[in-house]
Amino acid sequence: MSGYFEVPSFPKAFFQWYCKKELYEELHGDLEEFFYERVEARSLRFAQWMYWLDVIKCCQPYAWKDLESQNSDIIMFKNYFKTSFRSMMRHPLSTMINLLGLSTAIGICVLAYAFNQYKNKVDQFHENRNNVYLSTFFADRDGKEQQNGKSPLPLASLVQQDFASVKTTARLQNRAVVVKSGSNVFHERISFVDPDFLQMMTFPLKWGNAHELNDPNSIILSSSLSEKYFGKQVPLGEMMLVIIGKDQKKLFKVVGVAEEFPGARSFSFKALVHFDNLTDLDQGLDTQDWNQLIDATFIQLDEPQQHEYIASSMDKYADQFNKSSADWKINRFSLQPLSSLYRNSGSISGDIASNEYHVLQNSAISFVIIGLFVLILGSTNYINIAIVSASKRLKEIGLRKAIGANRRMIVIQFLLENICIMTIAMFVGLLLGTTLFIQWMEQTMNFKMDFTLNDPYLFLFLLVVLLFTSLLSGVYPALYIARFQTASIFSGKFKIGSKSILTRVFLGFQLSLGCILVSIAVLFTQNTIYQSQRSWGYDIDRLVYVKFENAKDLRKMRNVFVSHKDIEALADSRHHIGKEHEMIEVDMPDRNYEVQLVKVGDNYLETMQFPIDRRGPLALGKNGDIKGIMVNQTFVDHLDLKQPIGHAIKYGGGNYHITGVLKDFHSYNFYTKIKPLIIQPGLEDESVYLTLRTSPGTTADIKNELEATWATLFPEIPFNGGFQNTVWGNYYENIKDGDRFWRALASIVMLIAGLGLYGLVALNVSGRNKEFSIRKVLGAEWGSVARAIGKQYTLVFVVALSLGAPISYFLTRMIFDLFFPYHMPMNFHFFGYSLVIMLLVLLAILSSQVRRVSRNNPVVGLRSE
Amino acid sequence: MISKNLTAASTKPIILAILKQGNSYGYLIIKKIKELSDGQMQYTDGMLYPVLHRLEKEGLITSNWTMTNETRPRKYYAITELGKAALNEEQLQWAKVTSVLDSLWNVQPTTK
Repeated sequence: MSGYFEVPSFPKAFFQWYCKKELYEELHGDLEEFFYERVEARSLRFAQWMYWLDVIKCCQPYAWKDLESQNSDIIMFKNYFKTSFRSMMRHPLSTMINLLGLSTAIGICVLAYAFNQYKNKVDQFHENRNNVYLSTFFADRDGKEQQNGKSPLPLASLVQQDFASVKTTARLQNRAVVVKSGSNVFHERISFVDPDFLQMMTFPLKWGNAHELNDPNSIILSSSLSEKYFGKQVPLGEMMLVIIGKDQKKLFKVVGVAEEFPGARSFSFKALVHFDNLTDLDQGLDTQDWNQLIDATFIQLDEPQQHEYIASSMDKYADQFNKSSADWKINRFSLQPLSSLYRNSGSISGDIASNEYHVLQNSAISFVIIGLFVLILGSTNYINIAIVSASKRLKEIGLRKAIGANRRMIVIQFLLENICIMTIAMFVGLLLGTTLFIQWMEQTMNFKMDFTLNDPYLFLFLLVVLLFTSLLSGVYPALYIARFQTASIFSGKFKIGSKSILTRVFLGFQLSLGCILVSIAVLFTQNTIYQSQRSWGYDIDRLVYVKFENAKDLRKMRNVFVSHKDIEALADSRHHIGKEHEMIEVDMPDRNYEVQLVKVGDNYLETMQFPIDRRGPLALGKNGDIKGIMVNQTFVDHLDLKQPIGHAIKYGGGNYHITGVLKDFHSYNFYTKIKPLIIQPGLEDESVYLTLRTSPGTTADIKNELEATWATLFPEIPFNGGFQNTVWGNYYENIKDGDRFWRALASIVMLIAGLGLYGLVALNVSGRNKEFSIRKVLGAEWGSVARAIGKQYTLVFVVALSLGAPISYFLTRMIFDLFFPYHMPMNFHFFGYSLVIMLLVLLAILSSQVRRVSRNNPVVGLRSE
Repeated sequence: MISKNLTAASTKPIILAILKQGNSYGYLIIKKIKELSDGQMQYTDGMLYPVLHRLEKEGLITSNWTMTNETRPRKYYAITELGKAALNEEQLQWAKVTSVLDSLWNVQPTTK
């Protein structure tokens, strides 16, 4: 039997590797006998498994070799590490440049990893994420079937009643209210929820009890809201007044405060109150009204595999809804798992999850590309510097070869040097990434990534980065250096390849990459400036708006300001550009189009000063013609109207005709594409916005006067208004944050590329010490030295920059198109900035070396080895 | 299956007793123990050899490499006189332990 079967070779080799020589024969003999016995008694497969097991069981300190004295491989590696360390210490400049470049690159990779993890972690902290679903429906909208995250108000109770596998349901409706506690009064957006909401979602409380939400008089606050109203104190038992509309008020007792929410979340809340309060406070709300859509209905299932069956069975509710709804016709219902809600929120309109996933996705891809580029840049630095610095180690390599080292050993030695540097770079990079880059990004972008070192995937990722970078940067220099012939080294004929094509290619690649990264960073910075200066399409600077609870309040304020000497124009409206609009569907013969509708009062267009492109015989709202509407240019283009003026338009059961076309302007920020828009005269009694155009230099005073008048007229409610140029919220702050980010990235990239080039040129120049000394002795001036140094780089520079510039152009255009619907026009002259920056860096590096050579004493240079 | 602690505690007398019956080597000793205990005591090389080598160092057993034409070289162990004396001592101690346990287990519970 033993003649036919052999013990498995891999575990045998492992056994041989760890087992003491004097024990091997005796122990392995037994293992073999057991193996053959098992082959005969059972099967070969069984015997092989048991042999593996025996080898592992025998691997105990008792059987281990004495590593220090017995294993020559270990001694060899130890010596290689020693040599590597000494070599690193002897060449501090190249070591520092390599370490700085590689560790910065790894730091950026850690940042990219953290960002990707953040993106993937969104909402995953909810323990029930796999059996809680958001009810959504599909309806024909804008000519195609669209998924919508809202749901009819009566749906939750029917679902709970009709399906046995539904564990519980929770409705959620957000409402803008005024919250008052003591002297603190603010406008807030609070959530009306069913009490099971906090059982479904993992939003743990730091104080109080979630079950107390069953009491309709209770309120649970978010950590930030608690701090806003009560500071650091525990607010349990405190009373808060919630005002809905103007007249509906209710006192709530604080029964809980949530822990600070995780950063990776797509939705949360400011305050939670029992859903029944909504029906109590909002008298017009009918819980049996199928036409009433609420923000969310969550359904928790006992058996998640039933969700498709339940969703298809829910189609019976579509008929009930369709009977009562004029605007929407539901085709079918669908249950969206909480675990994937965020990922799909971009394609679900009206859902409560923030739909920034595609922005995060694009950012994550950009981070990965940038991380990879910077890693390649760091590695190319390493390759170039390793090859050039090998000129200083020619004798060491020659000597090692002369005393018997073969090519493999030299390759291993240089690879180990690379791994040493990479390992140190890895730790420094991890430190830079965690303590600097991630913190800095969180601060500038104002969000939390919830990054933790307690993540096994992080270490797996770092291992992959280590291997990838080691191979990328280490293999070529190791193979190149190991190729040197001993005889030519000692005869002095061997020259390190400044003329080698591959070395030039690497240098060119490094420069191109530097050029690409610097261009991207510079262009992003320029685009940020462009965005901050881009016109909104109308004059926003002298506009102030105020929002009221109802038209009656609006009229009170209007009467005070209507004849104010510093008011050039004022208008009331139901909606307001930049703050509020309605989404409607326009019926056209080919299909329906979803458009924005803004209902305005007299004089609104004149007050806002929207630029008018074409105006028909009837202006908006004039001559009592409420059927006349104005549209924007995008509307005309989108609906492909050849003759827009006078064109008949049908929507919401009414017939209208276009009386004018406005030039396109931005209602919302530049991240949002301009949508087709209709401006329609609204009813005076529906108006809640008052917009005022002030005379030059009085805008701030008028706003102050508005606030003062408001305080007199409506002392209980905080002022709700502002300058028109603030309606986009934090948009400009976010742009500035982005600008800071890209500037910092540009600086980092410049630093890595610049240091790499500096190291390369400096080493090259010091390798030609004798040549320059001879030149100087023969009378060479600094200009001649500069030519001698610059000559070998000029062609590479020109080729690299000519390649880098167009690649940067296409790459940046691609990224811009991905991120910005409106970005700066892409012209080649914008790349001039990056080229000038690159050239300045190169000139600075070259001139520093020319200066060094010019100052050196040629006698010292000629004496040196 | 007999517990690891009890197996470890009884290794010395078991090995000495097996060797008293005749010279043997690792594989055979492990098989013999398995056979005698109906598979209830599972030894591995990793457990056996540290004890064998310790006993050899203490002079309780000796070893010598034996090679026949058909087999691999095997290291046979034999018990020494010192080993036999140690085995007697172990036997007495184990007999005492057994008798204590027996007497404890045979006592009928008293009722009030």
